[in-house]
Amino acid sequence: MNIIFTISFTLMAIGAILSLIRFVKGPRSGDRVVALDTMSIIITSALVLLAHVFDRYIYVDVALVYAVLGFVGVIVIARYIEGAL
Amino acid sequence: MKKVLVILLLAALGYFLAQTFLEIPLGENRIGDINAQKPTAAGYYLSNTKEKSKVANVVTAIVVNYRGLDTLGEVTVLFLATTGVASILYRRKEEEEEVERLNLPSSNIIRTGARVLFPAITLLGIYVFIHGHLTPGGGFQGGTIVATGFLLMLISYKGFNTNHNIMTWVESIAGLSFVLIGLWGLITDHTFLGNIPQIGELNKLLSGGLIPIIYIAVGFKVAVELTGILDILLKIKPKK
Amino acid sequence: MIYIAILIIMGVLLLATAIFAVTHRDLLFAVIATGIISLILSLFFYLLQAPDVALTEAAIGIALTTIIFVITIRNTTRDEDEIIDKKNEKL
Repeated sequence: MNIIFTISFTLMAIGAILSLIRFVKGPRSGDRVVALDTMSIIITSALVLLAHVFDRYIYVDVALVYAVLGFVGVIVIARYIEGAL
Repeated sequence: MKKVLVILLLAALGYFLAQTFLEIPLGENRIGDINAQKPTAAGYYLSNTKEKSKVANVVTAIVVNYRGLDTLGEVTVLFLATTGVASILYRRKEEEEEVERLNLPSSNIIRTGARVLFPAITLLGIYVFIHGHLTPGGGFQGGTIVATGFLLMLISYKGFNTNHNIMTWVESIAGLSFVLIGLWGLITDHTFLGNIPQIGELNKLLSGGLIPIIYIAVGFKVAVELTGILDILLKIKPKK
Repeated sequence: MIYIAILIIMGVLLLATAIFAVTHRDLLFAVIATGIISLILSLFFYLLQAPDVALTEAAIGIALTTIIFVITIRNTTRDEDEIIDKKNEKL
């Protein structure tokens, strides 16, 4: 089981680093908003996997809040860029 | 010249802070022995919450039961902030002009997504503040989640209006019930915000005496206040 | 072992995003960087076995902090140096 966790967390860390490179480098604001959304999904799945590692299933409530509210943050910035906030 | 002075001041502050932080023993057991004769404060809370309060979440028991007066102060601070914002920025609709909020209608994706997600977010918020004594969370967190749901509807639909009269009544009744529960504790237990004798068992929804009722009142109050603040702030016209 | 590796990698990412948020000129990108900082900080609180604090940071950091800053940017300018340039012109 230990090898599976190590491979999963390595892949998630590579995904997070690539998202951050796109956030720093992107010339327009659309690139940065997409990087925020991608990092939100990666960290939600990391929280659920860590709840299995720590062996306490009440920790999943934190990931539930992130999964539902990630949409609202992206919509707020998108409406401002459109000019209609 | 000013920049050099600021950097020197920050370096001195950083040096003294580092001296203080290096004396903390990292990674060692600072709670001490829980069952000792004179435990530390953290040890006392950890060992006596299960028998005396019968509440599974120790953080909720500390916030509402052991340190309940500080929670009343925090609720007062939120009430003052909302009153300040509303007294400066709130304008009622006059006859000719309409206080409008959005210029462009939103696309189909945003409208459909908002309509599907709004009941789910409200349900999640109500779940978080009702189960505050069993799972992580509580009144303040649940109220914030419900206010986010209302924010989603306020951004997406042009005609979605919140009724300020109803919101004022709900906020006042919730705040008043917190103080009345405290006075009820004064009658039965001879302390302000004392708890009633326990009916249920551990880890059930009905345990904890008055603790879930206080958190339900706080949850409603915070949700209504934050929705009111966001509604007022979104209607300010930018001067261009 | 996994624990220490996650802490170090996320710590480096947090530092890079914080430097970007402070030194960039366009204010909307600083607001998005604040959102990412709140996300990584919530993961840190979770790793230190404090789920209550992690849930609080998640509930306020995603939508409420972002909307208040975006309303402020809408009512003033989006570019940081525009106000400083206008003041220097008058002097």
